[in-house]
Formats: sequence, C-alpha cells, structure tokens
Amino acid sequence: MSYSNSRLIPSFNRPPSKVAIRRMASYEDDLEGAVWETLLEFQPAVRDKTVLLKPNFVEPDAQGIINTHPAVIRAAREAFLRLGAKTVIIGEGPGHERDTEGIVEGLRLRDYVGRLEDVFVDLNADEVSTVPTRTHASKLKSLSLPKSVLSADFVVSMPKMKTHHWVGATLSLKNMFGIVPGNCYGWPKNILHWAGISRSILDINSTVRPDFAIVDGIVGMEGNGPIQGVRKASGVLVMGDDPVAVDATCARIMGLAPERIDYLKQAALLLGNLQEEKVEQRGESIASVRSPFEVLPAFQGLRM
Amino acid sequence: MSLECMAVMTERKKEGNLPFREEYCLPFLLSAQNSDGGWGYHPESQSSVEPTAWATLALQGDLGRHAEPVDRASKWLRQTQLTEGAWPRTAGGHPGCWVTALACLALIEHAKAPDAGILKGLQWLSDSWPAEGNWWWRLRQRWHKSPGMVVRQDHTLRGWSWTPGTASWVEPTAYVLILLRNIPEQLYPAGASKRRQLGERMLYDRACPGGGWNAGNPMVYGVPGEPRIGPTAWALLALRDYENRPENRTSLDWLERNYENITGPGSLALAHLCFRVYGRPAPPLEPKLSGLYGENHFLRNVVVAAWACLALGSIPAWLRRSSKAEPEA
Repeated sequence: MSYSNSRLIPSFNRPPSKVAIRRMASYEDDLEGAVWETLLEFQPAVRDKTVLLKPNFVEPDAQGIINTHPAVIRAAREAFLRLGAKTVIIGEGPGHERDTEGIVEGLRLRDYVGRLEDVFVDLNADEVSTVPTRTHASKLKSLSLPKSVLSADFVVSMPKMKTHHWVGATLSLKNMFGIVPGNCYGWPKNILHWAGISRSILDINSTVRPDFAIVDGIVGMEGNGPIQGVRKASGVLVMGDDPVAVDATCARIMGLAPERIDYLKQAALLLGNLQEEKVEQRGESIASVRSPFEVLPAFQGLRM
Repeated sequence: MSLECMAVMTERKKEGNLPFREEYCLPFLLSAQNSDGGWGYHPESQSSVEPTAWATLALQGDLGRHAEPVDRASKWLRQTQLTEGAWPRTAGGHPGCWVTALACLALIEHAKAPDAGILKGLQWLSDSWPAEGNWWWRLRQRWHKSPGMVVRQDHTLRGWSWTPGTASWVEPTAYVLILLRNIPEQLYPAGASKRRQLGERMLYDRACPGGGWNAGNPMVYGVPGEPRIGPTAWALLALRDYENRPENRTSLDWLERNYENITGPGSLALAHLCFRVYGRPAPPLEPKLSGLYGENHFLRNVVVAAWACLALGSIPAWLRRSSKAEPEA
C-alpha cells in the first residue's frame, strides 16, 4: 500500500490472497492483453492516482537475463493507464551501477515507453525524505527514501525471476532494495548488507509495501544469480496484490520451498500470505508451469 | 578567459557552431545552481554535497570565468561541514566518506592550498576505517558462513566505505586517493600515509581478473566479476602514478575495448577523461555525448553534466597532479 497507507496485518487476521500465473512463451506474446486481463480481475484502485512501476534494473545485460524486460514494463504501464491512472512513472535505483541512463538506454526502454524524461525517474538521484521504518527487524531505524516513491499512491514491484547468491531468490520483495537511493547510501547500498539483507528486506517492505507485483519469469536466471547466473526460461508472468503470496508462488514455480527462504518466512508474519492454502491461484496452476531452478550448493536446502 | 577567446566563442555562437560544452553543459550547470550556492542532483532540488562538489570542480576548470558561482558554492560547502570534520550528503545529515573526499577536493581547488577545514576533513577520512577486516570481523568469519568465504579478496586491505560502518568499495577509495594525491604529504594527519598505501593495495586487490574494476567484488563464488566503466575509470584515475603497472595497462585495454558499447553519458565522459589523463587516443567525445543529450538531456542529472564538462574541458589540475610532486600554487 505505498508509503502513505501501508498497513501491517498479522497473519491470523489476513484474508486469502489471489495470485495469477499467465503463460507467456516470449516477449513478443500479447503481454499487454495478459496484464490488462489480470488487472481487471484484481480491480486495483488506481483511478486518478499516481502509479510507480519499480522494475529490476541492475546493469547492462546483453543476454536479457538480468533486468526486467521493457516489454513487460510497457504492458504494465499501458494497462494501468487504461485503468484510469493519472500518471504511471517508472522508477529504479540500480544497486551497483551509477550510470542509470546507460542501463535504460542499453535496454532500449525508450523504444517501449517513449521519452524517458517524461516517464522515468532515477531513484538514485531523486530528492529524498527520511522516514522511520515501520518494523525494526534490522538495526535500521529510519531510511532516506526517494520522494517519487513516498509520494506515489500505488507502487508496483516488477522483478525478474532470479536466484540470489545471498538470500536464495530475488523476487518482488527483494526488488524493493532498488528504492533505497545510492545518493544516500552509495553503490552498492552496502548499509543494507551490514544491517542484514533479509531483515532489511522486511523493513523496506513494511515501510513501502508494494500494492501489486508483476514478476517477469518469461526469461529469468538460475544458478549464481542475480548477476552471474545463467538463462532460465520459465515462460510465465506471475501477478498479484500480495507480494508475499506472489513471491511464494514464484518460489514454488522455481522448485524452492518459500518457507525456507528466510525473508519470505518472516514477511509472512506481517506482510502477506505464504501458505499455499491461503493463496488462491488464478490462470495456470503451479504444477503446470513448475520449472526447477538450479541453485548454488549453499542453497540446496531450499529445494522443495 | 582571454578577450580573443571570448571573441572566438561569440563568433562561433553566431554561426551556431558553439562547442557542446559551451552551448549546453555549462549553461545547464550554471542555471541549476540554487540560491544558497549549492546544487541538487537535479535543477530545483535541495542542495547536496556531491553535485555541488562536482559542479564546482567542473566550473573551476575555466580559469576564473565562473568565479562568482564557484565562490558561492565553496561558501555553501564550508557551511555544511560537520563539526567532526566530515561532510554529510545534505546539510545536517549523516557523514559520508565519498562526499567528504569530494568536498575537500573541490575546496582545495578553490583555496589553492589545503586549509584548516580541508585538513580536518582529511583527518576524519584518515580516522574513518571501514567495517570489514578488523579482528572481530575476522573472528566471525571463522565461525559463520559469511561474505569472506564467498568473495575472493584480501579483507585486510582496507580502503574507504561509502558510509561509516560499512565495507570498503572501489569508488569512495578512489576519491580519497585522488584527494590525497592533491595534498602535500607533510600535511597528512597521522596514519594517512599508511591508509593511502593500504587503499592503493586494496584497489589492486579488487581488480577484476581480466582487467577493470566493478564496485568492488572481483570474484564471487569462483566466478570473475564483470568490470564496469565508472569504477574502472575512477580506479585508474586514482592509480595514475603507477601507469606502467600491468593492472593499469590491462584495465585501460579493457576500457578501450568497451568504449564503443557505452550507452550512458556519465560512463562515456569518465572513460574519455581517463584516456586523456593516460594519454591514450580516444574517439571524439562530443558527437556521441551530444547525441545522448539530445535523447534524454542526461535525465537532467547535475553530476553527469559536470562529468561531461570535465571530460570536454582541459584536463583538470587535480587529475594531473602526481603524488610525487607538490600541488601547484
């Protein structure tokens, strides 16, 4: 629920969540149709609102396996505009690379969404406000966050489906690391590592909980992710208004047990539903699209 | 600027032939300065130390043409220094190593010699150790699976972190080393010489196996890290005194091989600046940079515009100085 209306709901008091899985063989498929139909099911309240799409842009990537594909971003942007959103902006603050313009130009984002100056915000260079974190899982008591994020009415996390060499998997919750600005914390945002990655994920997402998640699993990454792994095509978009449930569903598609991923287990306490019986699947079933990801030896214990 | 020079510029402007730096970069920077004397990361945003330092360094290169905005910026920088000597990201905020190094560098260029405020900043940097590599950290390494077992690097070689309480990284270390090169060694606070040697060794330790640098992890889980343009350029600029070392040469080669694929103006400007400082030939910067400006206006980023000014102007003195020589008067 963005920053202005984030609410933490204990798991016993939380209704079931819905997660939609759409099979998409390639980025040339009708992504706009799939996202639009899914949003119609969820009916997010975005009319006359400012929507912030938060993709995962890390660094230039010739193989297309690191960053959220711009075709998915265009599909989401068009669908939210069609639903009546006043503005749909795209914001990202890459973690290792200062040259944000170089990344988005390398991705040819401009070809998909038009003039970047009108639609894109480099969250690493945005104005910031310091806000207290809503949980204190880490030693971070406050965070300086971009005003574009804090003022957005509706935040959509749009990660790439990838394994991660520190936390097992990086999905919609981990993707929110990118809202923490480099111009306050550096490149990388090392303060989050020292505060504990899993705990920082909780504090960031409790403070700015994504209202919706759209995971690009059409082509993702397995092995030594999130940068040095190898291509893994799962051929899916996974979407929903509960980021924990979306991530848990993605983990199951990846052949990983979500309750063994530390930050997801903790997130289930206050941020969303993890248990399979509390997630209503729409579209494809998990079993029909399951495609186990290779993981590093240190994460073999995460396997289902 | 000389009268002849001004006449040439005026003539070229009439002909619509003004260099990109004069026509776009400098006017953008000058118009983006806030009334308090500082710059934000974008025009009309709150003044911050980093963009103010970069804009000041970019404007200082023009031999007094921009004395007034530079004076105002220097005054703002002095006002934002914290009592402990460090600089924060924005006025009144928490200290940062990289912003402290950049503020000191900008002020040295303005003052022409290190003064008390700058030396206090240097003292703070000299006392500011990164969090990794101390005995307690190494003890924990023995007991837990931790980054030290996953990444291949010598954690006893400690440089500078972005923010206090975190680990050393390439860019902030490079900024501090460039600063140290611009201060006479006899003015170094206690321990600064040792920190400098450690910082230089740390940078070489963090070089990627095939040349170049990334943020600071050359090997993760046995896989060589991919170098990036920005960190490579800054590390090379910081290690310029050792231009004949093989690591410098292979990293410059890497930068040359990858120059044509650069898609961002910031990286392009830094790579070009690096080639010029090392005396390597480089393709003309202006056409590509102005092309990128035409597309996105550098996303109105003050730091990128300042780097473009630096790359298109004469090589700044603070990058030319060698640690073996006294800073110029």
